[in-house]
Amino acid sequence: MLNDIPLEHFVIISAVLFCAGLFAVLTKKNAIMVLIGIEMMLNAAILNLVTFGAFDKHKNEGQVFALFAIVLAAAGVAVSLAIILNVYRQFKTIDPSKIEEMKY
Amino acid sequence: MIETVQLTMITGAALLALVLPLLSFLIIGFWGNQLPRKGDWIAVSFTFISFVASSYCFINTWNQKVHHFSINWLNTGIIKLSAGISIDNLAALMLVLVTFITTLVLIYSMEYMKGERYYHRYFSHLSLFLFSMLGVVLADSLLLIYIFWELVGFSSYLLIGFWFDRDTAAAANKKAFIVNRIGDIAFFVGIMILLTQFRTLDLNILFGVEGSGGIVQHSSTHINTIAGLCIFAGAVAKSAQFPLHVWLPDAMEGPTSVSSLIHAATMVAAGVYLTARVFPLFSPEALNVIAIIGALTSFMAASIALTQNDLKKVLAYSTISQLGIMMAAMGIGAWPMALFHLVTHAFFKCLLFLGAGSVIHQLHHVQHKHHLDFDPQDMRLMGGLKKDMPITYAVFLVAGLALSGLPLFSGYLSKDLILIEAWSSKLILVPVLLTLTTVFTSFYIFRLIFKVFWSENKLAGLYPDLNVKPHESGSLMTGTMIVLAVCSTFIIFSFNPMHGTHSWVIEGLKTPVNPLNSPSVALETAELWVPITTVLFSLAMIYLAFRAYVQQKATFLSEHNFFYKFSFNAWYFDQLYAVLFVQPLMRFAGFVKWFDVKVVDGIVNGAANLVLGFSAIIDWIDRNIIDGFVNGLALLVGKIGNFFRGFQTGRVQNYMALGVLGLILIVVLSYIF
Repeated sequence: MLNDIPLEHFVIISAVLFCAGLFAVLTKKNAIMVLIGIEMMLNAAILNLVTFGAFDKHKNEGQVFALFAIVLAAAGVAVSLAIILNVYRQFKTIDPSKIEEMKY
Repeated sequence: MIETVQLTMITGAALLALVLPLLSFLIIGFWGNQLPRKGDWIAVSFTFISFVASSYCFINTWNQKVHHFSINWLNTGIIKLSAGISIDNLAALMLVLVTFITTLVLIYSMEYMKGERYYHRYFSHLSLFLFSMLGVVLADSLLLIYIFWELVGFSSYLLIGFWFDRDTAAAANKKAFIVNRIGDIAFFVGIMILLTQFRTLDLNILFGVEGSGGIVQHSSTHINTIAGLCIFAGAVAKSAQFPLHVWLPDAMEGPTSVSSLIHAATMVAAGVYLTARVFPLFSPEALNVIAIIGALTSFMAASIALTQNDLKKVLAYSTISQLGIMMAAMGIGAWPMALFHLVTHAFFKCLLFLGAGSVIHQLHHVQHKHHLDFDPQDMRLMGGLKKDMPITYAVFLVAGLALSGLPLFSGYLSKDLILIEAWSSKLILVPVLLTLTTVFTSFYIFRLIFKVFWSENKLAGLYPDLNVKPHESGSLMTGTMIVLAVCSTFIIFSFNPMHGTHSWVIEGLKTPVNPLNSPSVALETAELWVPITTVLFSLAMIYLAFRAYVQQKATFLSEHNFFYKFSFNAWYFDQLYAVLFVQPLMRFAGFVKWFDVKVVDGIVNGAANLVLGFSAIIDWIDRNIIDGFVNGLALLVGKIGNFFRGFQTGRVQNYMALGVLGLILIVVLSYIF
């Protein structure tokens, strides 16, 4: 089944997904939505990894990378959520466009 | 022979006499204002002690050994100069004369200068003047004489300009100083010639002691003539001889007592004294020059004195004339007679000035009392003072008779000796001029006496409603004048009132050895007829003056006559000098000023402007190009910084967008290159 679908399609899907995630990260007024965007971008990357793994001569190398990436993403989300909670406690908002403290 | 070069009682006394006036000058000069009576007693007492010391010197030196005291002074290897004092008959005589007359003048001044604003300054400067003159008299080398000579000029400058707030006094002292400088330069040149010739300036070595000749007598060259004339030029300026006489009449701007001192014993006598000192230096040609200049001066000054209206100016020209007689006597080789005349003249001329001072002083008082405005020195305003000031009149008459050279008075003794010598000399011009001078002298001095003391009081005529009666001066002034009047008679000079050849002054002074110039032998006949004719002439002149100014029956030249104007304007010497020297000099100074302002300053200013312009260009380049570049660079960096700063919004999403953009850029660029 996999072999019927050409590689380009996966890559295109992944790119679209990545762009959608990127767009969400850059534009959303809610930090949670930004996190979701990040997840989408990670998923795009993982999709790429899986896809390239399918075409790989070594067995399941891409899948292993993907599992690592998922674990990392979960860890990242845990840290991110903690940051967001602290940001909210500090600024009473989680709108990233209103938090300008990263200048300094 | 020179007795010793060690300090003895006599040289010590002379040194004391020299130093005391200097001390007096310093004490009064520094503390005069704080001292009681402003320190005049210091000047008088010190001068008197100086006189006593001088008398001691005189008694122990006259007709005895020459006393000499000297110390090594400058040693330059080739030329060794010593400094010291040397007292021979001439110096001793001058020493006593100068200190005696100064003492009298100082006592007189205590009354005459009373109430003067700078009273202590007067006494201090007079002491300096005395010190300088004594230095000239005592110095044993020409260099020392020159130093004191300059001091005499300087202190006379101070005294002539005593009333320095008057413009005329300030101009007069400058004139005196500058004219004297002309002579001083010549004098200095003479000294230098002698120094290079003989390697010494010691008077005793140069000119010999007591009849034994010095090195000058043994080397008769033309250089000596030149050196002699140079030194004589110095004497010409100091003694106010033609053609450098113009300062002396103007010097009347000083107080009358100062004039008295200058004219009697100090400044003008210094010239004659110097001529006497260096006498062996003069060759026959130089002596002829001296004789002619002296005779010419005496005649010129006497002719000017005939018409002057200023009381003191008449006396000033009289001094010039008498000094001319002395110089002429020097020139014809009558060395002792010239000095004898210097001594006698000192007393009666001092007396004449003090008498004139007394008159002026009292008229000044009258002027002050009634708040009148007239010139207290103008003889045209005087008259009839015989009754008001009898003592002044009496002593003035004595001095006038002495000046006229009438028998029984001192002037007769010395002047007739000179005339007798003159008539037996080879130059015929000299005796003629001198005889004319004596004739003129009697006339002008009695014109003065008649105008001032006889006839009616013109001031009373001018101010009829005021009681303008001057009274006799106080005892200090009259006392000193009486002493001088006694000294103006024959009695202290010679036992024989008719003939001065055996006077102690003449006997004591012997003509220095001068192998080139054999002393002239007086003609036997001249000794008889010269005195008789001159006395007769003088008496005739006095009678003429009496007719003209007392009886008002004779008139001579009208005021519009050429000769009158020529005499009245002092032979137009001032005008001549103004045209010949002063105006060209002023024009030259004007040109130099123009040159300085336009050319020198122009160059300087031009250079300054050039530098300024150049720096303006540099400034522009610096400001616009260099600073522009630096500022532009800074601006650019700032702009770039600002540009990049704009990216730093502090928002996490922007950073991320930029990161993505950067990523894209890197990818795109890596594809292109």
